[in-house]
Amino acid sequence: MSRLDDALREALRREEPPEGFAGRVMARIEARKERAGAWDGLMAAWRGPRLRWAGALAGAVLLIGTAAYQETQRAEGEQAKRQVMLALRITGAKLDLARARIQRVGYGLGDR
Amino acid sequence: MAAAAKAVTIGRAGFEEIVRERQSMVFSIAYHFLHDRAAAEEQAQEVFLQLYKSLGELESPEHLTRWLRRVTSNRCIDVCRRRKLMPRIGLDEVPEPSIPARATDPLLSRAIRRMVASLPEKWRALIVLKYQEEMETEEIARTLGMPAGTVKSQLSRALDFLREKASRVLGEIS
Repeated sequence: MSRLDDALREALRREEPPEGFAGRVMARIEARKERAGAWDGLMAAWRGPRLRWAGALAGAVLLIGTAAYQETQRAEGEQAKRQVMLALRITGAKLDLARARIQRVGYGLGDR
Repeated sequence: MAAAAKAVTIGRAGFEEIVRERQSMVFSIAYHFLHDRAAAEEQAQEVFLQLYKSLGELESPEHLTRWLRRVTSNRCIDVCRRRKLMPRIGLDEVPEPSIPARATDPLLSRAIRRMVASLPEKWRALIVLKYQEEMETEEIARTLGMPAGTVKSQLSRALDFLREKASRVLGEIS
């Protein structure tokens, strides 16, 4: 056995961790269990019929709402298109009227 | 599932007893590796949290001890590699003791611990397991998953390295 062996054995003796080490480990385990417990509880509730029905209902409401919103958007688009077409027709009619008047005035000048 | 079942069987008090019985072993491996009490406590806590999840795999108290030594050593090797801790304690920083060294000298022990903490990770693992845990070559080889021949040769090289540095810094020690 060399002096270095003795020195290493002496220097690398086991030491106790800081006071309360085991308590802190157990607290962390408990905290993890609680987190896991909350998640498990949520999953168990989901597996239960009441939350499943609530989920299905929420999904149906979401689908109907989305469909209704899309229908409203489509109807508003159609109405806007109709209004634009009407405006264009009115504008066209007014332009025809104006052109006819200009032509009449032009002929009148030519007759003199 | 087996781990959960075993944890239920052992119970909170049982697991706490396992922690108390083996905390000095796990903490000391980490401390002699990392040379930092706070970092050693953090790693030791992580090892016990991992143990709680892996209880189902362990078949006997001996298996449990082996598992703890292996997981702690490997975790510390990983931490050292990640943090590049090794250069933080260069051998040149090892203070020269002001009084002649004796085998049980606290200054000598501190200097030796710093030298060990400055070794490459694998050498450090070999030295800590051999001198702290008093493990035989074959046992170290099984723990670290290395061939026994490699353990023997690497250990010899690590000791030669330490002997040379110790004699330079601390005077003749062989």
